[in-house]
Amino acid sequence: MSGLWLKEARLFLRQRMALPALLLMFVLSIASVWAGMAEMSRQRDVIARIQPQQAADVAAIAKWVSKGGDAGEAAYYTFHATWDAPSALAFAAIGQRDVAPYILRVRALGLEAQLYESENYNAELALPGRFDWAFVLTYLAPLFVIILLHDLKSGEREAGRFTLLAAMARSEAGLWRRRIVLRLSLLWIALALPFTVGAVLSGASAGSIASFLLVSAAYLVFWALLCLWIGSRGWSSVTNAATLAASWLVLTLILPALAHLAINMVIPVRQGVELTLEQREKIHGGWDRPKDETMQAFFKVYPEWKDTKPVGIGFHYKWYYAFQHLGDLAAAPQAKAYRAGLEQRDNWTARTGVFLPAVGVQTLLHRWANTDLRAGLAYQDRIRAYHERLRRFYYPYLFDEVPFREGDFEKTPVWN
Amino acid sequence: MNAIRLIASDEWRLLRRNRVAMLGLLMLLALSVLAALTSITSRDSSDAIRARFQQQADAAFDGAPARHPHRMVHYGHFVFRPLPVLAAFDPGVDAFTGNTIYLEGHRQNSANFGDVRQSSLLVRFGQLTPAFVLQALAPLMLIFIGFGAVARERERGTIRQLLAHGISARTLVLGKAWGLAKVAALMLAPAALALGWLMAMESAPLAPSLFLLGGYMLYLAIWVVLIVIVSALSSHARTALMALIGLWAFAVILLPRVAPDIALASHPTLTRLETDIAIQKDLRAMGDSHNPDDPYFNAFKARTLKQYGVEKVEDLPVNYRGLLAVEGEKLTSKLFDDYATRQFAAQKAQSWQTDLAGLVSPAIALRRASVAIAGTDLEGHRRFLTQAEAYRFAIVQQLNALQANAITYADDGNRNKDPEAARRVRIDPKNWQEVPDFSYRATSTGEKLTAALPGLLILLGWFAVLAFGLRLAARRLGNAV
Repeated sequence: MSGLWLKEARLFLRQRMALPALLLMFVLSIASVWAGMAEMSRQRDVIARIQPQQAADVAAIAKWVSKGGDAGEAAYYTFHATWDAPSALAFAAIGQRDVAPYILRVRALGLEAQLYESENYNAELALPGRFDWAFVLTYLAPLFVIILLHDLKSGEREAGRFTLLAAMARSEAGLWRRRIVLRLSLLWIALALPFTVGAVLSGASAGSIASFLLVSAAYLVFWALLCLWIGSRGWSSVTNAATLAASWLVLTLILPALAHLAINMVIPVRQGVELTLEQREKIHGGWDRPKDETMQAFFKVYPEWKDTKPVGIGFHYKWYYAFQHLGDLAAAPQAKAYRAGLEQRDNWTARTGVFLPAVGVQTLLHRWANTDLRAGLAYQDRIRAYHERLRRFYYPYLFDEVPFREGDFEKTPVWN
Repeated sequence: MNAIRLIASDEWRLLRRNRVAMLGLLMLLALSVLAALTSITSRDSSDAIRARFQQQADAAFDGAPARHPHRMVHYGHFVFRPLPVLAAFDPGVDAFTGNTIYLEGHRQNSANFGDVRQSSLLVRFGQLTPAFVLQALAPLMLIFIGFGAVARERERGTIRQLLAHGISARTLVLGKAWGLAKVAALMLAPAALALGWLMAMESAPLAPSLFLLGGYMLYLAIWVVLIVIVSALSSHARTALMALIGLWAFAVILLPRVAPDIALASHPTLTRLETDIAIQKDLRAMGDSHNPDDPYFNAFKARTLKQYGVEKVEDLPVNYRGLLAVEGEKLTSKLFDDYATRQFAAQKAQSWQTDLAGLVSPAIALRRASVAIAGTDLEGHRRFLTQAEAYRFAIVQQLNALQANAITYADDGNRNKDPEAARRVRIDPKNWQEVPDFSYRATSTGEKLTAALPGLLILLGWFAVLAFGLRLAARRLGNAV
């Protein structure tokens, strides 16, 4: 039995297209894994690199703010760093990590004006998308499946060996099964081996590696089945190849682009701008509203500060931070609607993935690698929670009018 | 020439009988029409929304109540980047850059709400626009239609009959190329109509539109010649098809993704967060306005007093706090500009490096020319950022000058204690209407074409080399048969 497999393998590798195709797949896979890992190690380096810079920045602020000891100034001038470290598998599916910030500094002021800041990246370089393993799998691997399987039967027919082969084989079905399994598994190994090595090096869990491998195998099987179906119609090799390449074009480029167009048209998302405009009006309106009105509204949300010393006619940071927070609260409905719109877009994409394997694979890999839109939103949620911790940290100093000293800077909540 | 036309029309007859090819061609044309329609509608609506938001922001600024001018510095302004008309043809980086910036005193905010962060990962599959259809899909469709042009004749042996009838290999190859070029022209038609519409209805500039069309014609011509060359050199149609699909995948799909990775690794840029920290650090080193003994601000004070010939800031005819605000903003703005210049230079070096990959892939060269002409390249975004920053500086300084001139030093100092002073520092809101509105100056035709020139030249180079290659292929074909 194993002799038959070995013989088939030797036969296969002697074909003109076989070995170069496998090697190319292997090299592309290695390159994509290497590029992805380099990008992730760069992002980890950036996160590590900003820590001392951030500490020095806070120390410089602490030096002069602590002299006056005003907690309001401390909260106003101190930026707090947050970051979103890449998951172990992010290297394989970089997703939105190149266009959405993975480091962001926030202050205890109105958050909605800070949350949607962008990173300084070169948009021209981001436009074509990154060269990662998910890309090699989704776009390039199907082409290799097509190269290896489009002439499985038609090639033998054209060479005049078909009848002979069918007659000589102990079981005709077994022969084709052997050939298909052999070609596909060799291709899959060329594709999956570099990924597995990269994933192990990145410290990914066995379960998540297995999920990636399973999805990639299933995706290749889909394309193999498509090849077999087209091949079973008895067309020539060249017609098979053209039809399969056209299917690839439709399934990986045209239909996803149409789906994107449809989703963005059906679910317009404009609330981002609206909410920032609204929040600014609310916050700056705070300066013109009677102070008492602002304080009463704030105390409804935070009754624990109701009985602290009232603010006078002049400026007081208590009042300032109160209307900052009220600005966020006023923009909350828009913020919620904005987020709901984004989630809806994402949900429809996942639904599209049920019908379009390329979209499905991308959705799953990026979900598991935690690099999709949802991962970006989760990072925003963590920033929101951290921002609340920051505010709650500063409030006792502000409302009880406790001086803020150099040592207090070290007590500030840290991002984790 | 007659023989060439005859062969070309023969190709057409064959194509019309080939149901699969006709179906593919019709599908591409339908996609092209759909892309043009949706792209034009979405450009128009995006631009209209931005204009509406800009109006809303202008009205909010002009309608602000009586306030201390420094309140207005912090109230700030919003500016929106208008979308050029030709963005309907090639939106370029528009979705990848934010289109609105919040401008305020002492800070430089980022451009936010780019579509890429508001879309699912589907956006990375490519957006269906006329540019995408012509750059990526049309060449592949041409390959499907043309891979067998010569190879098929060789495979079937019909080529011998043709040559026996006195048709030279060169005529044959040129005829095949001419036939395929007509298919390419047909593929270009919806895009050309879309451009015509943009010129007629939305006053798209004439010269850039024509250059855009010319660039895409050249690009498709390159593919036509390449396809015929490969077809003429292959003894089997299938080999030609495989080789061409491989070339297409390499030039259109793979290389445009690999080139940026190399550029990013060789020209790293500072993150926004690091830039912020570095600017703050530089600022503290230059002059710390919070430090009462700071040498820089002490020197500034001495200089100001001397200029007005007074002893104390209280005796100045203008509000010293306003002068300080003007001086402080000058310092921060200078740093913003310095860091932005460095950032843009690094990004330019990155883009330049990827442009070099255009020597290997005509798709990259075309993309450069296309976004440059459409005004949707990184340069367009840089212009917006630079102009927004200049505008930010101008309005902040105008407001700071109001603080210096329209408010007395005494009132400014007492505004937190004395309700009358607090009332007096809130100056007439008519002053806000004096602040000019933001108007974005787009790239001129000359600048667009200059920026597109490298890409167009590379394309011309490609065409020249391939035209020569076609001659060689014809000679080889004549010898081989």
